[in-house]
This record gives sequence, C-alpha cells and structure tokens, in this order.
Amino acid sequence: MQNADAFNPSLMREPKDSYLTNGYSIKSWLLTKDHKRIALMYLISISVFFFMGGLYAAAIRLELLTPGSDLLQSATYNKAFTQHGILMIFFFLIPSIPATLGNFLLPLMIGAKDLALPRINLLSLYLYWIGGILTLYALMQGGVDTGWTFYTPYSTTFSNSYVMAVGLGIFINGFSSILTGLNFIVTIHTMRAPGMTWFRLPLFVWAHYATSLVMILGTPVVAITILLLAIERVVRVGIFDPAIGGDPILFQHLFWFYSHPAVYIMILPGMGVISEVISNFSRKKIFGYEFIAFSSIAIAVFGFLVWGHHMFVSGQSIYAGLVFSFLTMVVAVPSAIKVFNWTATMYKGSISYDTPMLYAIGFLGLFLVGGLTGLFLGSVGLTVHLTDTYFVVAHFHYVMVGGQVIAYLAGIHYWWPKMTGKMYSEFWGKVSAMLVFVGFNLTFFPQFILGYQGMPRRYASYPAEFQVLNVFSTAGASVLGVGLVMPVVYLTHSIFAGKPAGDNPWMLPGLEWRCQSPPTTFNFEEQPVVTWEAYEFGEENGLDIEEARRSAGRPVTV
Amino acid sequence: MQTDSWIPLFPESASSFSWQVDALYFYLIAISVAFMIPIVAAIFWFIVRYREREKFATPEEIHGSIVLETVWSIIPFIISMTIFLGGAVVYYTQYRPPDDAMQVYVVGKQWMWKIQHETGQREINQLHVPVNTKVKLTMTTEDVLHDFSIPAFRTKADVVPGRYTYLWFEATKPGTYHLFCAEYCGLNHSGMIGSVVVLEQDDFERWLQGNASNQTPVEQGRDLFENKLGCASCHAAGSGQRGAALENIYGKEVKFVGGGSAIVDDEYLRNSILNPSSQVVEGYQPIMPTFKGQVTEEQLIALVAYIKSLSGVDASAAAPSAPAAPAPAPANNMGSNSNQGGR
Amino acid sequence: MAENHTDHEHIGIPGYLAVFAILIVGTWITYVVAFWDLDSIFPGANTLLALAIAFTKMTVVMLYFMHVRWSKELIWLSAVASFFWLLIMFAFTMQDYFTRVSGVFSA
Repeated sequence: MQNADAFNPSLMREPKDSYLTNGYSIKSWLLTKDHKRIALMYLISISVFFFMGGLYAAAIRLELLTPGSDLLQSATYNKAFTQHGILMIFFFLIPSIPATLGNFLLPLMIGAKDLALPRINLLSLYLYWIGGILTLYALMQGGVDTGWTFYTPYSTTFSNSYVMAVGLGIFINGFSSILTGLNFIVTIHTMRAPGMTWFRLPLFVWAHYATSLVMILGTPVVAITILLLAIERVVRVGIFDPAIGGDPILFQHLFWFYSHPAVYIMILPGMGVISEVISNFSRKKIFGYEFIAFSSIAIAVFGFLVWGHHMFVSGQSIYAGLVFSFLTMVVAVPSAIKVFNWTATMYKGSISYDTPMLYAIGFLGLFLVGGLTGLFLGSVGLTVHLTDTYFVVAHFHYVMVGGQVIAYLAGIHYWWPKMTGKMYSEFWGKVSAMLVFVGFNLTFFPQFILGYQGMPRRYASYPAEFQVLNVFSTAGASVLGVGLVMPVVYLTHSIFAGKPAGDNPWMLPGLEWRCQSPPTTFNFEEQPVVTWEAYEFGEENGLDIEEARRSAGRPVTV
Repeated sequence: MQTDSWIPLFPESASSFSWQVDALYFYLIAISVAFMIPIVAAIFWFIVRYREREKFATPEEIHGSIVLETVWSIIPFIISMTIFLGGAVVYYTQYRPPDDAMQVYVVGKQWMWKIQHETGQREINQLHVPVNTKVKLTMTTEDVLHDFSIPAFRTKADVVPGRYTYLWFEATKPGTYHLFCAEYCGLNHSGMIGSVVVLEQDDFERWLQGNASNQTPVEQGRDLFENKLGCASCHAAGSGQRGAALENIYGKEVKFVGGGSAIVDDEYLRNSILNPSSQVVEGYQPIMPTFKGQVTEEQLIALVAYIKSLSGVDASAAAPSAPAAPAPAPANNMGSNSNQGGR
Repeated sequence: MAENHTDHEHIGIPGYLAVFAILIVGTWITYVVAFWDLDSIFPGANTLLALAIAFTKMTVVMLYFMHVRWSKELIWLSAVASFFWLLIMFAFTMQDYFTRVSGVFSA
C-alpha cells in the first residue's frame, strides 16, 4: 500500500509534473508513447467524428420531417444515412470507449506505467487517423451511397460512388482496432501490479479483455471481406455478384461474422463503465462479481455464433434461420444477468446522484428497452415482419446510443477529474444528462411504433400516414442534440475554469484514484502493491474518509 | 391504409398468418412489461431508499448470491426459449409455401416491380390478388438485392439476383395495401413502392378479363423454346435430339457426368440454361452453349414455366382463381430450392 | 516472444531459406496439380488438394517462421483458438448452404 498522503485530498498541492505539463511542443504530443496523451488525442479525434456523424443525423431527421423528399434529394439522403452509419460505427462507436477511456485507464487500474506496447499504441492512433482522413477525403469528393453494410452486388457492380476509398479507410482503421485489442490483452496478461490477481481486476478491465478478444478474432474477417469486395469491384473476379458467378449472400455471411460481434465491441466496454459507476457511486461491492466478469466473456464468445439473425429474410435456409434464432436467444441471457446484478448492487448502498450515476441509471432503463426489443428481433417469425423497418433502427439506437453513448458519457464524466485534474459543473452535468435521456426517448421510441406499422428504413420519402410519429422523432432529436452539445461546452470550460478536483474527489478505492490527478507520465511514484479486493470502500482500505468529509466542506448529515 | 383496428397506431392485419405475428408481438410486449416494471421499480426504490445520507459512507458489504444468480439465469433462459419456439412456428408458416397456391411471378429491377400472372396479365408496381386464395410469388431480380415487403400481410422476403426466392400469403380482407421494397437498392429505393390490391373473387375474375393477356408464361416459354431461342432443335424428341429430354423430368432426380446428382426444380432448370456445362446430365455431351446475357429474367421464368408444363406441372389452363380446384399437378414440390446459389 | 532468444538459435538463416524453399515448391505443386483432372475421382477433389497444400505451407510458416514451435502454451492456445474461430465461420456459413436443398427446412 502507498502512503496515505498520496491520496489525501486535503493536501491539494499543485501537481508537479503531470502528463499534460510534461512538454508542450507539438512534437512531444505527436511522438509521445504515453498512453494518456494518446488517449487524449483519441478523445479529440473521436469527438470530431461524432460531431460530423451527428450533422448527418440532423440532416436525416430534418428530411424525414415531411413525407416527400424535399430537403434532400434521394441521392443526397442515401449518402447521408450511409455516411452517418460509417462515421458513427467505424470511427466513433468501435474506438470510443476502448481507445479513450480504455487507453487512459487500463494501465492506471492495474497499476502499470503504461500499456505493454506503447509504440504499437501510437501506431494504432496513426492508423486511425489515416483511415479517418481517407474516409473524410472520400466523403468530401462525393461520398458513398451503399449503406454502411456495403451489400453486394450493389456495392461491387452498381454504385458509382467512392466505395473503394471508403473501403480502404475502413480496412486501415480495422488494423488500428486490432492493434488496440492486442495491446490490451498483452497488457492485462503481463503488466498487472503485484497482488492484482485476475479476480481483483476492476470489471472495466474484464470488459476490455472480452472486447479485445472480439477485436482480434473478428476484425481480420471484415478486412478480408472488404479486400474481396475490392477485388470484385476492380478486377471483376466473381465472388459476390451472381452475374459473374458469385453469391451475394456469401458477402452477408462474411460481413456479419464481423459486424455482429462488432456490436459487442461497442457495448461491452460500455457495460464495463456501468459496472464501475454503479458500484462506486453506490459505494457498494458489485453484486456477483464473477457473474458479471464471465458474462462478458460469454457474450464475447456466443456473440460469434449469432450473426445469421441479420439475414432471416435474406434467402438463407429456414434451418439456418432457426439455428441462429435459437443462439440469439441464448446470448440474451448473459446480458440479462448483468442487468439483474447491476440492479442488485444498488440494494442497501449509499447512492449519490452525481452526473455519472445519473447517466448510469439512464443506461439501465434504455439498455433494458434495447435488450428486450432485441428479443423481438431474435424471434425469427416476428422479425420477418420487423426487419428492415424502423423497429430495427429504433432497437439498435437504443443499444448503441442509449447503451454505448450514454455509458461513454458516464465514463467521461466519471474520469474527467482524473484526466484533467478539474471538476466540471455538476449542475450543467445533471441538466445535460436529463436532456439526453428525454430527447433520446422522444426520438427513438416513436420509431418502434413506426416499425411495426411497416415503415421501411433507408427511405428518403414515405407515405403520409407515417408523418406524425416522424415529427415527434425529429422534435426529440433536437432535444437530444442540445443535450449532447452541452457536455462539450461545460467540459471544455472546466479545463480552464474548473475547480481543482484533487486526486480522489469521490473517495474511491480503485488504483486509478490512488495516483495524482492528472497523473504523472509514469502514473505511480512507486510500484503499487494491491492488498485489497475490487470495490472495497472501508477506511481499512487506506481511504481517509473523515479527512475527505472535512475537506469537502459540507456538513455531515446523519 | 389507415387501420380500423381498435388499437391506435396499429397496422392493418390482412393475411391468414398475420394474427400469429401479432400474437407473438403482444406476447413479447407482455414479457417486456413484466420485466420492465419490477426492474424499474426496484431501481427507483433503491435510489430513493438507499440514497446517500452521509458523505462517503461505507455500507455493509454484500457479495452476491448463487441462488439468485441461478434463478435469474434460468428464468430468462426458459422465457427466451418460449419466444424462440413461438418465432420458429410462425416462421415456418411464413416461409413454407403451400403446394396448392396460385402462381405469380415477380421480377425486381431498379426501381420497379414487374409482375406477371400465370394467366399472362402483366402489372407494374401493383399486384392484384383474389381474397381467401393462397398466392405464391416466385421472385428474382435483374440487378441488385430487393425485398418484397407487404406489412399488412406481416411478411417479406429478399429478392436475390441469380436465384429464386419465394413468398406466399393468403389475403383475408379486400383492400389496398402497401407494397415496399425493404432492402436498400440504390438511388430511388424509396420510390420502389406500390400496392397490393386484394379483390373479391368475382371482382378478380372481372379484373383478369379486363386485362386480357397476350401470352401466358407457358405460351411465351413455348414460343421462346421452339422459335426465338431454338432450344427445340436439340431438345425436341426425334432423330435430331442431342440435348436431354425434358418431358416429365420435373421433381425427378438426375445424375451428372462425373458424379453428383440433383432434384430438378426451378433453380436447377434456371441454372441449366445459364450454366449448362456445370451440370451435364449422364448420357449427354457438354455441347450446350450458355444463354447467359441472351435471356432476360422474365424470359427465364417463362422458359422454366414451359419446361415444367412438359412434366404436367402448373398447366396454365388450371384456373388460378378457383380456389376449389385441386392442385394441378402431383409432383408439385415447389417448395424446393437447390443450393446452387453457393456455386 | 521469449526473452534473450535470437532467431538464429532456432533455425538460423539456412532454416529460413528452407522454409522459403518449401513455400516455393508448394506453390509450384499447386500450379501443376491444377492441371490434373481430379474432379473425376470425386467432385471438389482439385480444390481439396489445393487447400491441403496451402494448409501445409501455412503450418510451416506458423511453426518455424513465426516461431510458434518454440513458444509458450499461451501462444499455442491463441494460435489454435484462431483456427477454432475460422472453423466456426465455415461451419455456420455452410450450415446455410447445405440446408438450402429441397427438404423440410428449405424455403
């Protein structure tokens, strides 16, 4: 254990040399091997892509305000939803939590100086940039209109848009993802501090371990698939286009073999964040630690066996449809286990309503809706009606935005004091959490009803009877948009004008709270030795709670 | 298309199996509500009852409970299995076309639906069908993937280039229903819509007569076979016959040169016209040229229909509008669909 | 992987040249057998033989060029796991193609 002073907030000394102040030149950032600086650069890049994807979303929602295609022509609309999907999925959702929070926190949480392969980490950032810039270049040149799924033979034979450039961008970006996953696995295996056994790891680390497995095993397949697509498009070798001897359904098999597990790349780290936030802000040991840890691994493994549920109406055999439907139902169980355990964790806790916790509670509700509607879509007979309608759109936004983005926001707020050393405005944090929750539900809940009514997705114009619910949805989107822009403003403001946060503003036991805020370049002044289980909040764990209460300057209510 | 249902915002339900889909939907809503209410209630109860009363308090530790974990693993598993079984039963109904259905041919094309009835009538973006009659669609496309979707009938299926897919329904209420293309197919995807018009039996007869057909698919196929494409010069019985005899082969097994065999179905016939050398039947030489690029999808459908009629299958003489009429052919295992998509 | 090991300890330059030679010979054999008509024995025999040669080449690369032969159990586990995943991909894709023929489950 370290000396108690190291995490005593009363000694609010000016940080000597944090990772932020260790060199100000551009070179010191671009050539850094510090996982924290790389994480910060990822955070900024990812926010840019999220913002651009959001602009496309705004355009889509505005177009759908009226039944006709008046604001955007079909050609533009098709590009808008394609590029919204590509930017959000490949350049925001997949890297978001692992590359920013994971990069920043994994070494801190296991008591390491850095990731095991710091140069590889920097390389993965550069690959992300190269892939991203290539994709943006293609979008500026005229964009791509195939849908983010690149279904053949449209993408190989019929589309005249920039399929190759975007495909190359995604291909390169895939290697960034593989390298990050590889780095995490090696780090978790080899860099744990003395005493940090596997079952003392925070659940955030377990979630990232499962995510990394999926990244390494799945991403090469999408890279190969894009390569095959390129070969067919350029050299006209018949792989997917039946006119030259290929099979379009083969593309769907290969594509979804990666792209369904990719959903778990997106949501598993979010689940890790939620496990942390719920346990820490209830000041309560997580309920069923092993069950949450192993359910992450179970999701990662079973997630590879269910991809055919994207293809129930595609022309695959009835037998295959039944098998994939059965396995989809099985993979629902570990997610249910997690939700029950999170809820049970709060029982008899000491629950504070800080911004991260508000986001986490919002996550529970939205993920519950997202997961339960997943059962609708896993039930094969019902999906024949629901697939390719707005029901699917609503479902995956509930999981991806209501789940992943909300978890990402919870994590950003939770670890913001550690990353910057500054405290954001709690008031504005709560306001934005509420706006996001309300705006999100207003945007996407009407789409479930639209979907059952049969409104197909990817339609620039639609029959007039669907308009009322679309107006609701667009109205909600504007609220959601405001809620999502607010954190950018007050978090940025806090960097310059926020109160100093201290090393451990919430008196939490995790290793990341036992180093300076913002951390020094090598994280810990001396090698930490772990003698406690994860999530133990008692004073015997080295937390000077009395002192913290005094310095918090608030009367102690009993 | 506005619903007359007593549930607001609920779509018209107008096919023989649409009630099954609706029942499954309501079952799932019931389950969702049954899960949501206790969990959300518990969350609210906990965050109010156990809210922070003392800064940085250290509540008593609870490690977990094997009993609870077991219970909340097994119960969701059992429930999810009921959902799976329900879905499987409905899926089987939706995707197994009955043998005695009236035939309609559908060819998708960027961005329109071309439809032909067995009696020869052609339509674009509209499908007229009689009420209370089983209708089976045999579908393919000239270019990219499309999807024939009729929300009111609670069914849809992708239309895949290079092979046939099938869809069937039995409309239960006369009316006009949306027809959508539900698989993204390029520029004017949202314009690839139309309607399915369900008519009373008599009205349908009148509609058929009012749209007198020029040629039925079988007649058109015979014309192609005997004149336009000259298939008959090799395949017709007689001294000049060099190609395989096509009479009474449908539904039978054929053996190939070099091993392997297949049941003759629509997919097999289609493939034999386009890639003859890939499946040379025993006893014949691989001399047939490919007709790829020379026949359109609609002509292929006509040719297949004609060759089937040589086996007595689906003679167009059988009035499709008479539901009482028995299935026209004994060997009508039309639900077949070979694996040649995977070649 | 393991510390203090240099490449030469395992197979050295001659070893790498041998691996290279095996790969070249394998490629040449693949080319030659493509002209044999093995499909008359049973359909797909040509493809099977080509795949078998490719698999052999890949095994040599993994074991010797990538040093898996001298690596720890964890590395072996990772290498084997990736094949298991490949097997999943093939098996579950093929279960679609093989069940599309006429039968109770066909559409």
